[in-house]
Amino acid sequence: MQTSRPSTLESVWVRPETRAALDTFFQGFGFTSDEDLAALAFWVLAGACEQGERPQAAVALARARMETWLAGVLGREAGGSVLARGRAAFVLCDGARLGAGLLMRGSVPDNFARKLRAAVPVPAPAQVPTTMPEQQLVLWPFGDLLRRWFGAARADVSTSP
Amino acid sequence: MHAHSFSPESAGRRRACVLGLAAASTVLGTWEMHRLLSVRGTTAPELVLVALFSLCFGWIALSFWTAVAGFLQLAAGGRLPGLRWPTAEEESAKLSSRTSVVMPIHNEDPAAVFANVQATYESVAATGHLDAFDFYVLSDSTRPEAWVAEELAWAELCRRVGGQGRIFYRRRTDNTGKKAGNLQDFCERWGRHYDFTVVLDADSLMDGRTLVKMARLMELNPRTGIIQAPPLCVGRSTLFARLQQFAGRVYGPVVAAGAAAWQLGESNYWGHNAIIRTSAFIEHCGLPVLPGQQPFGGHILSHDFVEAALMRRAGFTVWLVPELGGSFEQPPPNLLAYAQRDRRWCQGNLQHLSLVMAGGLHPISRGHFLMGVMSYVASPLWLMFLMAGLVAALHDGWVSWMHPAAQPVDVGFDTVGALRLMSVSMGMLLAPKFLGLGLALARGEDAARMGGRAKLVASVLLESVLATLLAPVMMLFQSHFVFGTLLGYRVSWTSQQREDADLPWSEAARRHAVHTAVGVALAVGTFALSPGLVAWLAPVVAGLLLSIPLSVLTARASLGLWAERAGLFLIPEETEPPRVLSRAQDVTEEHAVAPVADAVDHVLTDAKAHALHLALLESQPGLEAVPVALASARRKLLGGSVEPLSAPEKVAVLLDAGTLAEAREQRLTRVAS
Repeated sequence: MQTSRPSTLESVWVRPETRAALDTFFQGFGFTSDEDLAALAFWVLAGACEQGERPQAAVALARARMETWLAGVLGREAGGSVLARGRAAFVLCDGARLGAGLLMRGSVPDNFARKLRAAVPVPAPAQVPTTMPEQQLVLWPFGDLLRRWFGAARADVSTSP
Repeated sequence: MHAHSFSPESAGRRRACVLGLAAASTVLGTWEMHRLLSVRGTTAPELVLVALFSLCFGWIALSFWTAVAGFLQLAAGGRLPGLRWPTAEEESAKLSSRTSVVMPIHNEDPAAVFANVQATYESVAATGHLDAFDFYVLSDSTRPEAWVAEELAWAELCRRVGGQGRIFYRRRTDNTGKKAGNLQDFCERWGRHYDFTVVLDADSLMDGRTLVKMARLMELNPRTGIIQAPPLCVGRSTLFARLQQFAGRVYGPVVAAGAAAWQLGESNYWGHNAIIRTSAFIEHCGLPVLPGQQPFGGHILSHDFVEAALMRRAGFTVWLVPELGGSFEQPPPNLLAYAQRDRRWCQGNLQHLSLVMAGGLHPISRGHFLMGVMSYVASPLWLMFLMAGLVAALHDGWVSWMHPAAQPVDVGFDTVGALRLMSVSMGMLLAPKFLGLGLALARGEDAARMGGRAKLVASVLLESVLATLLAPVMMLFQSHFVFGTLLGYRVSWTSQQREDADLPWSEAARRHAVHTAVGVALAVGTFALSPGLVAWLAPVVAGLLLSIPLSVLTARASLGLWAERAGLFLIPEETEPPRVLSRAQDVTEEHAVAPVADAVDHVLTDAKAHALHLALLESQPGLEAVPVALASARRKLLGGSVEPLSAPEKVAVLLDAGTLAEAREQRLTRVAS
């Protein structure tokens, strides 16, 4: 979203580069309308200190906001992979369709929360590492016997070196 | 552990019967052939001819007596001894085991793959035993576009059926060991979660009731290592595929029942549509890398036979259970696709030659290796037999280049005896077809669902004619593959064609030019030698001369569908499709996945693909892109170059979350400005 001049969101003044960085971040959640993006920038920066106005710091704030929001809805601890998986779930559920207000409201509709939880990608369960030992096959047992008689060093065993 | 039998007591008698009768038939046939050829004494070419004949005839005899055993087994009804089946009470109990259903894939059409997974998943859910099963799609896809499309199709499938946490998706970045390596990787990461593992192929489809039954059989038979449910070919429309589907439905059960009847607990594993005891598989079926170079050395290509042999060596039985039903796969759509698959299997089967004498294997496991080899070597043997026949005829003066008027009138050849032997050979070759037909005709309901008795008979006759014409072409293909493998050609491992696309005439002409030329040479050569000889070789010559039109026309779905409307080559699964089949078809049509034209572009522009891909990347820590490819990809992608990314560069970018995030940000900023 182009922000050609400093925008004022109610009481929050946002630098263009900060707004652009926040827009990019929230576009990753599927938000595309200017209204939603502006509201989300306000949501992130409202009450933020001076550093919040710098793009990197603003995005860090946005990440933290979204992590907290997702952790609350998904019933998980913030941090770790909550943001990546939660964002995927949010996009897969087309959460942006419900508008920026969804994130800013105190509570999330039960139906959507259920959908979101069910959409969190679980590509694989926890691993239980084990080793499949390579089997040994003596390909020519008679030849092996002869080799042993004649003292040859290596058996004809079909296994990796 | 040494090989020992866990099969029932009747195993010895059953095997003596089938193998003994096959051996006796071979001796009789060979003796008769020798008698026919030795009218003027025995010459060296005749000895070669007799030796080749005995091998070819032995192969036919084994198939014949196996089919007879299958016919008797099916006609008598009842189950094979050895496996304990559940009682009614046991059948209604909950499964106490956990089973994984795994589908290894490699650059396949994700719409079809995930439709089959969905249909199987829903079918299991309908049994009420879904809690006992987890599903894994194990991707070895190397094309970046296939990778991204699979991720999207998996997420979409999970959304449709609420399958997150029960349907899993994992992609390997290196394809070590190909399909066997893919399965090994699964076993080493998640295998210990499960008592049993059902292995599927990319086009496999299984009824939930069959899966539950297989898991229950494994629970009740703790020394059973593998149960193979023979898959039935279904779901294609081309004439070639419908011929295979029909043959598999009418004759397949006889052959499968026959093999099961004498192999019992030493049966074979076909690599998919089978259930495996996971712990035994992990402990005893890790495949060795064979010493030496390809074609006989290196990674084992056809892993299934070897895994069955290793499982049996470890003291676990392997069962082929045809009565399970509900097990499906798709045949290749045309002759060339069939040959392409055969090329891959050929090298894999020939590689097993080096394992025939390996220590500790059960004799029947050795037999499986030899039968696998024979299923390909039979073609060059047949070819050599034809050539040796011509040489012997020339050498002994049965035929000559002289003008017919100048040839001796009475050559003393026992034409009647030769015709008798040929008729017996053809009879044994065709017997499985007619035994299968007999069973289908006897079961009125089956016959009705195959178009009625008259159309069923007509279908068998037509199928036999077409199969006879196609056989010489396959003989040349397989001979080429065998000689090519022995001479050290490498087999490239590509996914097979699975869609019903028409075959262009130009492609067919290119692939069958040699076959046609051989047909012309054979016809001209034999006619020049003796016009009467052409009649003996007519089926071979006709098949080769018609190879191009046959290949093109049988590849047509329009002809296949026309035959279906005419009630020809119908199978019950077409007239009354089982629920799981029709569901898979519906899902494929309803949820067609839009193709991913450019994987990186798609991940950068589509919010869903981007978010999903990054989430999946994060769940697989430790994946690293090739630094050189990543560096050059970054230069192109972030430096604003118009030069397209190569496939390795795309893979490198898709493995690097940082680059993806950076490139997306840059792209969005560019769009915004």
